[in-house]
Amino acid sequence: MGMFNMMQVSASALAAERQRAEVTAVNLANAETTHTDQGGPYVRKEVVFSATHGSLFHAAFSSAGNMAPAGSVRLTDVVDDPTPAVRRYEPGNPDADATGYVSYPAINPVTEMVDLMGSVRSYQLNASAISAEKQMIEQSISILKPS
Amino acid sequence: MASPPGIDVLQGYLKVLTDRQQVIVSNMANVDTPGYHTKDIDFQTAMRQVISSGGEAQLQPASMELQGLPERPDGNNVNIDRESLMLSQAQLQFQLGVQLVKGQFSQIITAIKEA
Amino acid sequence: MSNVSLGAIPNSYLPETSSIEAGGDGNGLNFGAVLKNAIHNVDQMNSSAGAQVNSLLQGGGGDMTSVMIAVEKADVSFQLMMQVRNKIVSAYQDIEKMQF
Repeated sequence: MGMFNMMQVSASALAAERQRAEVTAVNLANAETTHTDQGGPYVRKEVVFSATHGSLFHAAFSSAGNMAPAGSVRLTDVVDDPTPAVRRYEPGNPDADATGYVSYPAINPVTEMVDLMGSVRSYQLNASAISAEKQMIEQSISILKPS
Repeated sequence: MASPPGIDVLQGYLKVLTDRQQVIVSNMANVDTPGYHTKDIDFQTAMRQVISSGGEAQLQPASMELQGLPERPDGNNVNIDRESLMLSQAQLQFQLGVQLVKGQFSQIITAIKEA
Repeated sequence: MSNVSLGAIPNSYLPETSSIEAGGDGNGLNFGAVLKNAIHNVDQMNSSAGAQVNSLLQGGGGDMTSVMIAVEKADVSFQLMMQVRNKIVSAYQDIEKMQF
């Protein structure tokens, strides 16, 4: 894979975790949204990660620049949470249905915060990996400097 | 008297470490990927090959899946703490290897200049 | 004068000799041959290192450590060659000064 491709793998993780954090932030912001353009309450979104397959040690296409190196991660999909909406009895609410119930998104702020903390921790982990990779490259170069 | 490892063996050492680093980095990147299993290389066997062959270029090392790590509900068994530890270890080992290489070259240069 | 062996460079590798070799007897100082050999080695190391560096610069994803080590080896070989050259030239000058 080579040292520079290693950085690409870690960078892919940073991008994926940041996207996951964004989706979580949108969920949090819309925890109480009862009415969207599509009608009905906001639906909680979840992210799907997947790893790029291939042998980690065959550099084959990596240098072509387009293909992500084996081992990279990416966000392949953002899916709707199938959990049914939470219904609360609020007859005075303009979004109430015939029986007086309002549908709220099935979003638990605590769950979202835990998700967010998970993203942050993974982000930090991969950021430290990039530091380590950078250091290795610098040390390799230092072989040429007089010690 | 055993002599310190030569430059070719050290080069092999650094290559094995770089390969290990690749695996660790992939594990870290996929810490949240469902179904992903921790990978690693057999460091001891690879180093044995390097030393016995005097530092010849190695074939691609086999990356194997590590057994015995607990799986989370989404099928992922990557342990952040383990990967962090392995990363630090690999970093320090790499530093050691580079210093030894520099030392070898420095010795040769001194020998050349003193002649 | 007996054959001078510079240790690491075996005499069996000597290519064709230059005019520096003492004329006539085969026991002459093969300084020219030794130098030629050293230059050849340096040239090879240089090309190999150069090729690896080019591959690295073009983003070939090559193994960076091996490239660095190859470059350093070429550099050290060059320094060795320069020292050998200096010694040879100095020895030659000493010989020239001898008056018969």
